Amino acid sequence: MSLYEILGTLETGFIFGIVALGAYMTFKILDFPDLTVEGSFPLGAAVAATLMVGAGWNPWIATLAAAVAGFGAGFLTALLNVRFNILHILAGILLSISLYSINLRIMSGPNKPLLRVDSVFTAFEGFGLPGYIINPIFLGIIVLVIKLGLDAFLATGLGISMRAAGANPAMAEANGVNVGNMKLFGVGTANALTAFAGALFAQIFGAADAYMGLGVIIIGLASVIVGMSILPSRTIFLATFACIIGAILYRYAVALALNADFLGFQASDVQLVTALLVTIALIMQQSGSLRSMFGRGKK
Amino acid sequence: MIDLSKIDVTFNKDTPLETRALRGVDLKVPEGQFLTIIGSNGAGKSTCLNVIAGLTKAENGSVKVDGEDVTRWPVYKRSKMLSRVFQDPKMGTCEDLSILENFALAHGRTRPRGLRFAVAPNMRDTTAERLKVLGLGLEDRLDDKVGLLSGGQRQAVSLLMAATGDTKVLLLDEHTAALDPKTAEFVLELTKTIVSDLKLTAVMVTHSMAQALHTGERTAMFHRGKIVFDAAGAERDKMEVADLLELFKREQGEELADDSLLLG
Repeated sequence: MSLYEILGTLETGFIFGIVALGAYMTFKILDFPDLTVEGSFPLGAAVAATLMVGAGWNPWIATLAAAVAGFGAGFLTALLNVRFNILHILAGILLSISLYSINLRIMSGPNKPLLRVDSVFTAFEGFGLPGYIINPIFLGIIVLVIKLGLDAFLATGLGISMRAAGANPAMAEANGVNVGNMKLFGVGTANALTAFAGALFAQIFGAADAYMGLGVIIIGLASVIVGMSILPSRTIFLATFACIIGAILYRYAVALALNADFLGFQASDVQLVTALLVTIALIMQQSGSLRSMFGRGKK
Repeated sequence: MIDLSKIDVTFNKDTPLETRALRGVDLKVPEGQFLTIIGSNGAGKSTCLNVIAGLTKAENGSVKVDGEDVTRWPVYKRSKMLSRVFQDPKMGTCEDLSILENFALAHGRTRPRGLRFAVAPNMRDTTAERLKVLGLGLEDRLDDKVGLLSGGQRQAVSLLMAATGDTKVLLLDEHTAALDPKTAEFVLELTKTIVSDLKLTAVMVTHSMAQALHTGERTAMFHRGKIVFDAAGAERDKMEVADLLELFKREQGEELADDSLLLG
């Protein structure tokens, strides 16, 4: 891998670190396996791209608008579950397939190129460093800010209510927590993060695409699983850190697998490689941590 | 403080499994009273507690707590007035949170929660102070996850949590049944202390007749969804388990045959 590739992988690693933090909120905190992200990631991209290209919005505001749209999508999924008792996984599937059509409508087509418009990354062009160096730094700071914000939130009154609502709903209700509202807010926020990541992803790659959500759920989940099985996750602070590192490692694992000629993979095998990596991570999790698999540490 | 009026509860209505769990139950618990409820399996005692807590919706009748009609209130809203301790020690505390965070959560039951840090600066000291009373050494383990504690320790913590904030009513659902006898005794003594110290209104469901008669100041017995016996004061004080069995036999014309109903 060249330096360019290494930094490029780091860049996407940070973006998917944001997705991983969302997956951590739904899967680990709320115990709500949320499939909406397959639709909210491209939704974020579509909303930001359309607002920037079509309506000429400031890229920062367009990116925030993408996050708001993502919140709406997650909120609706949780609403189907909380209010109408539809199974959470099914509710997520319903939202993500409807978002596929909605995204095509938003972009009036299957994709939206972001040529010759300012993106949030344009602001750093004058710093004298090439984009492939400054962009990962910028994204790293964004991920860090979101991580610290999430850590702080989960320590607030509302935050521990959300943690209790996921871990022990009956006990949470007995302590006055409105579990339904926690799901609405939590799943909404997780999808806001995902859509935000989708908006950044589109701006890095210069286009929004209706298909770019494919496999996002697995990437988010893989990051959480990989991160938490190789790094300590006793506290929220460590767990969210592990999720981000997991996202980065996961991107490198995929990049390496696709780059290693002797494995014979080609670029179109990315989904297969993803599925294989997640399966390996899940099996390893069953048999203890990755470290114990390699013979170090006690089982 | 608690006022149940003409409560009907039917499970699996209009199916072959239809069961009438409560049949026109009237129950008033005045402020500061400690009521114990006894009954065999399926008698309706736990259902009655669940109707008060809001877990089970009554088909007919009304539920009032502290003068407010809470019949249509969801569980989380009622918990502002009612605190509960569950039978399963795992249920009363949240194992993914630390001891301190669990107390912070219980603290938020009667106060608005917001975006302030849940663990207020003074909470560490006040919680340690309260845990010290237990004599279990938990005051030095405030940051341990509750999942690391034993069943008895968790139940003791649940009780203290239930007594956090402006608690008015304490609902205990066979909260000593899953513990070993020694720990059960400890938790029961703790319950009595907390209820009398804080002058709480309490309702305790139990399987043990002796426990029902020797705890609190009033005992009600459920059978087939109705209250068949309700005694307080002198009448109850001189009553023993044998008398209760005799009374039941006379009133109902049948033997109380149920292994699960502990006679001891």
